Amino acid sequence: MQDSATLSYLVATDVGGTCTDTIVFGSDGGIHIGKALSTPPDFAHGVLASIESAATPMGLTLEDLLSRTHLFVHGSTVVDNAVLTRDGARTGFITTLGFEDTLHVTRGAYGRWAGLTEGQMKHPVKTDRAAPLVARDAVVGVTERTDCFGDEVLALDEASVAAAVRHLVQDKGVEAIAVSFLWSFLNPAHEARVREIVLREAPGTYVTLSSDIAPVPGEYERGSTAVINAYAGRITRDYLTDLATLLAARGYSGATMVMQGYGGLLPAAEAADRAVGMIECGPAAGVIGAKFLGDLMGDGDVIAADMGGTTFKVGVIQGGQLEYAREPMVDRFHYIAPKIEVVSIGAGGGSIVAVDPLTRLPSVGPRSAGARPGPVCYGLGGTEATLTDVMLLIGYMDPDQFLGGSITLDRAGAVAAVSRQVAEPLGLDPTAAAIGIYRIACAQITDLIREITVERGLDPRDFVLHAFGGTCGMLAAAFGEELSVRRVIIPYTASVNCAFGLISADIAHEYTTTRTLAAPADASEVNAIFAQMETKAKAQLNAEGIEPERQRMEWSVDLRYCRQVHEVTTQVHAATPLDTTGVARLVDDFEALYERKFGKGSAYREAGIEMTAFRLTARGLMPRPKLPTEEEGSADPSIALMGQRPILDLTIGGMATGRIYDFTRLRPGNEVTGPAVIHTPITTIALHTGHRARMDRWRNIVVTTDA
Amino acid sequence: MDPMTFSIIRHRLFRIVDEAVITLKHVSGSAITNEGHDLMVSLYRADGTLLMGGVGFLHHLTSAAEACKAIIRRFQGQIGEGDVYLLNDPYTAALHTSDIYLVAPIHHEGRLVAWSACFVHVTDIGAMNPGGFAPQAVDIYSEGFSSPGLKLLDRGEMRQDVLDTILNMVRSPEMVSLDLRSMIACCNVARDRMGALLTKYTAPVVDEACAALVEQSEQLFRARLRALPDGQWQSRQYLDVQGETARVLLTMTKTDDRLVFDFTGSDPQSRHSINCTKWAALGGLFAPLFPLLCYDITWNEGVIRPVEMIAPEGSIVNCTRPAPVSVATVGAIQSVNNAACTTIGKMLAASEAFRDQATAVWHANHFAIFKFGANQRGGYSIGILTETFAGAGGARSFADGVDIGGEIPNPISRMANVETVEGAFPIRYLFRRRAADSGGPGQFRGGTGGEMAIVQHRAPAGGIDYVISGKGARHPMSEGLAGGYPGAPNKYVWVHADADGAPGAPDRLETIPGKAEPVSWGVYPLRGRDALYVRWNGGGGYGDPIARDPNAVASDVTSGVVSSSAAKEIYGVALSSSGAVDDAATSVLRAAIRSARLAAPEAVQ
Repeated sequence: MQDSATLSYLVATDVGGTCTDTIVFGSDGGIHIGKALSTPPDFAHGVLASIESAATPMGLTLEDLLSRTHLFVHGSTVVDNAVLTRDGARTGFITTLGFEDTLHVTRGAYGRWAGLTEGQMKHPVKTDRAAPLVARDAVVGVTERTDCFGDEVLALDEASVAAAVRHLVQDKGVEAIAVSFLWSFLNPAHEARVREIVLREAPGTYVTLSSDIAPVPGEYERGSTAVINAYAGRITRDYLTDLATLLAARGYSGATMVMQGYGGLLPAAEAADRAVGMIECGPAAGVIGAKFLGDLMGDGDVIAADMGGTTFKVGVIQGGQLEYAREPMVDRFHYIAPKIEVVSIGAGGGSIVAVDPLTRLPSVGPRSAGARPGPVCYGLGGTEATLTDVMLLIGYMDPDQFLGGSITLDRAGAVAAVSRQVAEPLGLDPTAAAIGIYRIACAQITDLIREITVERGLDPRDFVLHAFGGTCGMLAAAFGEELSVRRVIIPYTASVNCAFGLISADIAHEYTTTRTLAAPADASEVNAIFAQMETKAKAQLNAEGIEPERQRMEWSVDLRYCRQVHEVTTQVHAATPLDTTGVARLVDDFEALYERKFGKGSAYREAGIEMTAFRLTARGLMPRPKLPTEEEGSADPSIALMGQRPILDLTIGGMATGRIYDFTRLRPGNEVTGPAVIHTPITTIALHTGHRARMDRWRNIVVTTDA
Repeated sequence: MDPMTFSIIRHRLFRIVDEAVITLKHVSGSAITNEGHDLMVSLYRADGTLLMGGVGFLHHLTSAAEACKAIIRRFQGQIGEGDVYLLNDPYTAALHTSDIYLVAPIHHEGRLVAWSACFVHVTDIGAMNPGGFAPQAVDIYSEGFSSPGLKLLDRGEMRQDVLDTILNMVRSPEMVSLDLRSMIACCNVARDRMGALLTKYTAPVVDEACAALVEQSEQLFRARLRALPDGQWQSRQYLDVQGETARVLLTMTKTDDRLVFDFTGSDPQSRHSINCTKWAALGGLFAPLFPLLCYDITWNEGVIRPVEMIAPEGSIVNCTRPAPVSVATVGAIQSVNNAACTTIGKMLAASEAFRDQATAVWHANHFAIFKFGANQRGGYSIGILTETFAGAGGARSFADGVDIGGEIPNPISRMANVETVEGAFPIRYLFRRRAADSGGPGQFRGGTGGEMAIVQHRAPAGGIDYVISGKGARHPMSEGLAGGYPGAPNKYVWVHADADGAPGAPDRLETIPGKAEPVSWGVYPLRGRDALYVRWNGGGGYGDPIARDPNAVASDVTSGVVSSSAAKEIYGVALSSSGAVDDAATSVLRAAIRSARLAAPEAVQ
């Protein structure tokens, strides 16, 4: 044990939509957890409250803790919130003359249906685009043109640019300007000149160039990215500056790292200018946390499922690699930035359960009672039955022991609501109705996970499932069995997984160069492209104080079969710079990956293969936390047995007597068999007949199904 | 049946279709399938009736059911596990030859229990013009390979001789081979996933759920029809090709819980390939019917039962072999889509309770241009201009139509980025935007269509060629509703460049230098400094334009989608020089429009 005076701390705080979670990691290996409600739109206050809630049980004041903190890692939903609430800057858009409508017509119907459920897509009369971030009269086209080789076709009309800037700033009152020209990712000269003109004509205007923020093809998505970045840019910058000031005032003098949607960290000063990078960085951190645990436990293939109050989110790690979103969206706006794929549906503990009056089909969500009024059984004024109420009816929650006994759950209220909303319309008794709803929730989640794995050519049977969040543990063993995953793990850090992910991430910069080369290309040509990016990356990492031995350069290349639309980002496994064999291996890897993703026989080799983009991930390795472990002992869990009560046992199809265990009294090595439930401070783990749960040496619960 | 199991099986059937669609798009890397979503996957019961229709080109749902039935009739007694059948004859079930159906039986424990069917628009079918639409075809024989049903896979084994024969008849055989492989992969996924469902819940339980699902859709649809007013509604569509105009006349009669669609009075079949066969016309009716009347009902046989169609033999909507039909999907079928959308819309608008479901016609007329030629990177490119999928939304009783917002029969299409097209073809866009005054005026305005112009750019052969099947430049086809005006028609212009004019930076048709020639039908070159201009139609309006909120008109003028002359003459809105509404002058203008109508009532009929 280190002397407490010499202890130093790593503090990570993740601001989510509802809660702000903190994890404090001591140099002695101690882990401390804090939680507070998020405080939109002034999220910084919730951050301090969350850190303080971790400090107090440690016997420290906020100032004590912060003064001994050497690194603060942060993720925040500030950008998502600015876009969703339309709270960003008044933004103007300058683009190529003749293409002023590109943003507003969203590649045709795409922007009308993207982000909708299948049910909504089948009802086109009731669909519209999301209200745009830029008013149409704040879009100006200027004469200029570059072609598909990056060659200038028409010179930039600088006088009309200056006029456009004055019009936007003076007449339209814009505070931020996004610029996106056709083919600017191949030749950014015209965009760069526009920035100079804006700063000359209207200094202080926030400017985002599409060739800076997303130098990749596709003018609609690239322009949309520039607009989102400009729209949320100032809010993001102000937020990070204010936070730094607040932390400094409380005694913090170290660096702040900010999580990005691709799962890497950026120093706060750099993150401030890349608002789009922060979109959905919390869920991304959750996947990073799952990857860290997977690596620790030797599982390269992980499905990370997080189910809280309103949504069920799922991400996939395959062979230790993260899956990136192909068409990321915020609200219903497309953007291009590397982002870890996290798919969600509206199913959580607060999801309202109902029977459709027309089809008489029972359903779970997507409507939610949220945190307020919440489920009926919380007694906070909720009147509509939710999935949580169902869980109470089937014995998975202890009315007297919820949140450590701080709330007594209203069982009678829950029974009445489930009866009214589900049981009576279907002519069932309340318990049968609750069992049915539980089965439907499992089936919906099973279908979602199947869909997102199949979409990537993956088979869920090869995966381990990590269950995070307050609701997931009650369902995970059941849907895990239906998916035939190898095992289900409810991690010890499940309640603050996103914050946990923050402390297991590296600094990472992503660079992309778009160029088309026929494959297999000349190795020297490929190396030259990467050399340029590496020079930039190394200078960046050096400036951030990352010594060369902590720098890692990871190469990947987008390849496709000519005349086909699917591009596959393929990692370079060979030594870099590449030689001829290395290039050949890259092409082979692409072909194997393509077949895996898109199925056998899907390749059209006859037309040839081409490389379309070159991506560099430049990492600055951060020290990994070392989690405390405890030797596994006896399998006998009786020390933690609290009693028994009727619970749903899906294997036998009805209620059965289940043993009830207290997680805090279980010891590593203890094994619990279903039917049983394990109550943890934040969730309940439900086990059916045939399920076996063991506490491992990190205090994770590992559930397997008897063959 | 247990409502929970029923709910789970229904959801899973839905997902099976979804998974099969994903597979199909993955394997087929083509733009028309991936961007245009020009595809369909559905599940059918053992007798070939529709069980679960997916979201794709909806006019295929019923035709593919007929394809299943045709295969059952032809191969009765020889249908084996793992077989896959191909059918693309329009006179048997298909819509046109290039939309190939693959139909596959699904067996469980040795018994045939269901079918899956899918289609994609294959890259080529060997018709006289490349790409599938053959404006120059004079009969079905010039429209490429067509089969009333053949076995492509025999118990899981590809019949290589059959495949080679098909590929021997098409341009771009590798791409067609890939199209076929994508559909086979799709059938395999549907079969495997259905197999897992059958194993988990047993065949009798799944069959009971499927029967209940069909039964439920029928009950729900009949109940909906009973809730709507009885009556008779009409729509007329005029399709012009090469100076000839063909009429589609539809009379829809709704009595109690039945709907009859009667095409009596439609013109005889055309000598041009815009005709459609009977099965295609039926599919054309259901494409808007599913999303407009059954948005919350599972799309299956139960929805089909209460509907009857009368289509006179030898007419443009039920043509007789060997009439050419390759342009049907964007010809007569689309007119049937439009007419059905209008008659259904009129019925919905007549009901207080369902008025908010009514819509004027969306995107009424695909322009279907296939471009082909040597590209700027040493290869050869062929493909559709995906702007044809961009469409335009019809106005609704509560809101404007969505500008460039797609179409009802194919609810989730999209168009390619300009950079995607310029990267693959040696062409350069001069502009692409919403087309002013294209949305049908109304109290709620129809969504605008778009306009674009392209020139060749660094083409190694000096240019490319294109096949255009562009009808509808003479008569507007996206009808308005409840007093709304139709959207503007399509327009296609070949601008012949002057011998030595300056290139300049034209950003609209009027500023492209040269001599304009309308084109619409056939194969044309795009060379030198010539330009091709296309404007596609806007959606129909809803309600009287002089009842439109004047501020909405002012805003439309500001964003360039309504001209100030249209604001004044059609909407009766006077704007000040700053663009603000002049209330007093607007009242005067609107009063004048009313008086003029009263003075000449026949003019507004």
